[in-house]
Amino acid sequence: MIVSAHPLGLEGSYPLLFLIWLLPLAGALLLWAFGPRFKSFAGPIGSTMVGVAFLATLAEWHDATAISGGLAGAHQTLFTWMPGFTFGLLFDRLALIWTLVITGVGFLIHVYSMGYLAGDKAFARFFAYLNFFIFAMLTLVLSDNFGGLLVGWGLVGLASYFLIGFWFFKPTAVAAARKAFVINVVGDIGILFAIVVIVAHVGSISYGDTFLQIGAFSPHDLFIVCLALFIGCAAKSAQVPLHTWLPDAMEGPTPVSALIHAATMVTAGVYLIARCAPLWTASADARELVGVIGAVTAIAGAVLGVAQWDIKRILAYSTMSQIGYMIMAVGVGAFDSGVLHFLTHACFKAQLFLGAGIIIHNLNNEQDVRLMGGLRKTMPFAFIAMLTGVLAICGVPGFSGSFSKDAILTATLAHGHPWLYAIGVLTAGITAYYMFRLLFVVFFGPYRGNVDPSDLGIRHPELAGTAASSGHHPEETDAHHAHAPAWLMSGPVAILIVPTVLIGWIAFGGEGSPWKTFWDPVFPKVSEAGGFVMPELAGTVLVFAVVLVGFALAYLQYAAPKVLARSVPRLRTESVRMPPVLANAYYFDAAIDALFVRPSILLGRFFGSFVDPLVIEGVVHETAHTASWLGHLFRSFQTGLVRVYALSIVLGAACFAIYYVVIGAAR
Amino acid sequence: MTQWLAPMESYIALSAVMFFLGVVGVIARRNPLIVLMSIELMFNAANLALVTFAKLWANNAGHIFAFLVVTVAAAEAAIGLAIVVVAFRRAQYVDVDEASVLKG
Amino acid sequence: MIVTALVLGPILIGLALYALPKSAEAFARGAGIVVAMLAALGVIVFPHASDASVHWLSRPFDAAFHFGYGPFSYWIVLLLSLVTLSALTALRVPRVRDFTAQMLLLLGAMDGVFLAKDLFLFALFWDLMLLPVFLIMLGWGSPSHGPAGGRGTAAWRYLIYNLAGGLCLLLATAAFGVVHGSTDVIGDPHAGVAIGEVWGAWIFAGFAFAFLVKTPVFPFHTWMPDTYTELPPPAVAVVAAVQSKAGLYGFIVIGLPFLGAQMHDAQLLMFVLGIAGLLYGAFAALAQTDVKRIVAYSSLSHLGLMVLGIFSFDPTALKGVLVYIVAHGLFNGALFLSLGYLEAREETRSLTRLGGLGATNPRLAGALIIAVLAGLGLPGLAGFAGELLIITGLYHGGFVVPSLFALIPIVIAAAYMLRLYQTAMNGPQRLDLPQRKDLTWIEGLALVPLVAGLVLLGVNPAPLLTSNGTETVSVVSSLR
Repeated sequence: MIVSAHPLGLEGSYPLLFLIWLLPLAGALLLWAFGPRFKSFAGPIGSTMVGVAFLATLAEWHDATAISGGLAGAHQTLFTWMPGFTFGLLFDRLALIWTLVITGVGFLIHVYSMGYLAGDKAFARFFAYLNFFIFAMLTLVLSDNFGGLLVGWGLVGLASYFLIGFWFFKPTAVAAARKAFVINVVGDIGILFAIVVIVAHVGSISYGDTFLQIGAFSPHDLFIVCLALFIGCAAKSAQVPLHTWLPDAMEGPTPVSALIHAATMVTAGVYLIARCAPLWTASADARELVGVIGAVTAIAGAVLGVAQWDIKRILAYSTMSQIGYMIMAVGVGAFDSGVLHFLTHACFKAQLFLGAGIIIHNLNNEQDVRLMGGLRKTMPFAFIAMLTGVLAICGVPGFSGSFSKDAILTATLAHGHPWLYAIGVLTAGITAYYMFRLLFVVFFGPYRGNVDPSDLGIRHPELAGTAASSGHHPEETDAHHAHAPAWLMSGPVAILIVPTVLIGWIAFGGEGSPWKTFWDPVFPKVSEAGGFVMPELAGTVLVFAVVLVGFALAYLQYAAPKVLARSVPRLRTESVRMPPVLANAYYFDAAIDALFVRPSILLGRFFGSFVDPLVIEGVVHETAHTASWLGHLFRSFQTGLVRVYALSIVLGAACFAIYYVVIGAAR
Repeated sequence: MTQWLAPMESYIALSAVMFFLGVVGVIARRNPLIVLMSIELMFNAANLALVTFAKLWANNAGHIFAFLVVTVAAAEAAIGLAIVVVAFRRAQYVDVDEASVLKG
Repeated sequence: MIVTALVLGPILIGLALYALPKSAEAFARGAGIVVAMLAALGVIVFPHASDASVHWLSRPFDAAFHFGYGPFSYWIVLLLSLVTLSALTALRVPRVRDFTAQMLLLLGAMDGVFLAKDLFLFALFWDLMLLPVFLIMLGWGSPSHGPAGGRGTAAWRYLIYNLAGGLCLLLATAAFGVVHGSTDVIGDPHAGVAIGEVWGAWIFAGFAFAFLVKTPVFPFHTWMPDTYTELPPPAVAVVAAVQSKAGLYGFIVIGLPFLGAQMHDAQLLMFVLGIAGLLYGAFAALAQTDVKRIVAYSSLSHLGLMVLGIFSFDPTALKGVLVYIVAHGLFNGALFLSLGYLEAREETRSLTRLGGLGATNPRLAGALIIAVLAGLGLPGLAGFAGELLIITGLYHGGFVVPSLFALIPIVIAAAYMLRLYQTAMNGPQRLDLPQRKDLTWIEGLALVPLVAGLVLLGVNPAPLLTSNGTETVSVVSSLR
């Protein structure tokens, strides 16, 4: 039903859009309020909500793509706070892609969770949180204004907090949740400040009004807005230097890591930059900054991925690195490449995490790869799944990741950033190295699960990363650990193999590919000087060559036959000789602790225990003492002696007398 | 109109000296009876001043007021002595300084 | 009559409760709840009531007995009734009859402050609303062996400090009355008040001191942590939620229309104090171990932000202040009541002794997390709406640096609020804590109006933002 035109698209009322948006919220509230009564029925309820939302999204496809020209689509106004603060929903192509991933991959992960968390005492609560997350993420991508975006931003941070700290009796999970939330709030205030500046210049929080009036911003102010928005992106998408929460977020259950910290929430920063493409197109400084940080994050994450022993942390750093690619892409103006990588990454990263989850689940919560090995024979399905994921993430031609990665790299070069291109290519090699390392250490060679941990160089088995610490405590599972049917977990993984391998082909065909045609009228074109357009084939070959180098190095180090025979002592040597810089993640955590956390607490103690009771209250006490002293002074006049009182009467009378005498003399 | 036996100023001076002596007596003496006597002295000084000015200005109001003062002095002496008797009934030594219960 | 009844009704009924026997506890509690409910209904059902002005004083200035609504006071009085209702429903205290009576007196006196349309009446009720708090603190505070001397010291400090402010308020009111001729001026856009330079400075100083002490604003805040700690939870919910707004309300309805020039002159000083309180409160909250002190210092921080909003003289910021006043009242009330539930069960307020309660008390954990999230300004809840509008107004008014400073406490709030919640509810269970029942229906119900308000206002605070009535127009236009 079309009512009127609007800068954001076709104004109207879209009941299906409401359904997509609010059904997960209904599910969350239902499961939160009545969860314990549903018991294991909560899983199907939560999954159905998201599944129906996915189907509704498919039904709304037409409305989203009806307009071709800018970021515009189906638009529905909700309510207005006051002039300039109008909230509504926007369902355009960008929102469509994100919503498909959120609800589609979300649905698969809901189903998977029914198997992974079967028997957990807080089963229903998990699905309530998961549904709430879907609702929050949809709020983020469906809003037509910065205010609604920020609300969604904050709510996904909240959902992430709930889910990371799901097993809240574990101190490490509690600390990780708090860390993730506080860093997220740092991002929130960045976006808040951007909104403030935007309202001051444009008078409205709506995307449409802002993008129409870019001329109202001076270049300096535009950069400030982009910078503030990027602080939010960096916090949410784990870009340097606000990335330290992501590895710790692996404390949450594996489906959470798959959905939130791989496929959807961490890509919110990419969404934001793509959404604000007009702003970025207008500010070269912002593009430079974002591109550099994206590239730095990509390579930093990759290097750290080499140094990890926890399977989830390896994947976490790889996520950080891949998102670095996406940020780099949308930063330099290659918006469709970045979004393509988001799409492929969502599939193959979810695939990798869910596959890892199968391994973790079957090995009774073992997460340290040193204690795995040879699982190719015992878990062939997991091997196939992880193999496809690894091939995709490395960018092996033909698999989905290669299309998107190559697109990003060629676009970066075409937009005039040769250094970023070089970093990206190098990172691709490192990615291949550590992902194949993961594959080889986990699936090849002898099974090391029965080896004494110290023989493998594991110094503190009770810390995160081994079965002794992670995962289920006796407190949180029911006595009869119900084993859910295996297809609940392997089904979604099997389904994901298809897009992991194939989805990249929608970008096949260069400028004429379906992907390019879909996005062509949408994003503003960025024109940069000094761009070098590398032929597509040459680019692919170059990247593949680097990938092969990485693969070869990994093979020689971890999978060559003579190496496999000595896997235990070799792993021990490697554990022991891991450089501390890498083992402590470049000391970022220590730096943040020393620069922000400790001084804040010390300042707080100084204020609360010294300044307040002694200095400020000291002044108050002094005032009270002065009053009391005055009282004592006046009290000293009350001697009780009649003669003194008589004297004071006389003195008073004498004063009067003298006064009148003087007055009289003056007349 | 009788003659002044001395210049008018000396009458006033005498009155002032008497008053001052009375004041000193009130402040400096510790025996309550002496204090009362000093108060009487002050009354008398006032009376002298009143009568002197009455004669000076030929105004009988001063004389009449002196009578009032005498009456008041008598009444005040009676009550004052009664208070002294009651207050110092059980005291060992009659001393104004000991009556300092109202010390704050 | 309705508005006057809102003021005098609770006072009279509160006094009447003393006629009941001490053992009629249920009746007293019920009476208190009914009165609070009627007060809330009265405000909702008769939003446009206004009472006539009854002249009662001619010398040295004209004063009238005049109560009525203004756009700010309407919402604050509604907030007050709801918080009192929640507070009285929530917890049991010893000597219910006396406590309910004092709470009703407090309700009536505070209604008087916010509904007074005569400045002299405002000043009288200002002092009056201190007494019930003082008596509650003496009667129901913690025993006298606390670190700062316990409830006695805190109570006297509260009373005398605030009375000093009240004295300045009274003197300023009297001066105002003498200079202008009449004190029946609040909310009257046609009052035509013109206070001269010399008098104006002193009058403003008097008002400002009173409002700064009451809010409180740094550095006049030292009475607050002890007071909030010593008051029992229902009382501290009301005091923290509403009484702290009296000073801000005073600045808005007295300062802005009548003393605009003086307010402009004082802007720099107020900005400094506001930012100082903002940061000081946030950092201090980070290091406390008593859960109520954490919330008390966080309150100082939030109130600093509101002071910044008022003195920016920007219409958006002022609207944000109204939203934040209501939001802050709601979430502070919810926080103190939830913490009250916690303290009643575990008999401790110290974070060093609490831990792991979420496993056995999930409903309590749920109530506390909602209050905590509103307290830290989670987008989607009312506190965020207020903060957004205030900071937007600050920046729009040209105060870039203060708006940046205002962002810092948001991060610190996340840290200390989560520390509060997680230390109490998460982590392994502590075996040395008593195992008590989870939240009952009544206790949960008491929190419902507050939580519902937070969510509804967070989504759409439009009712508070649309200006209706001449008073807002005059207040906002006087900002130019």
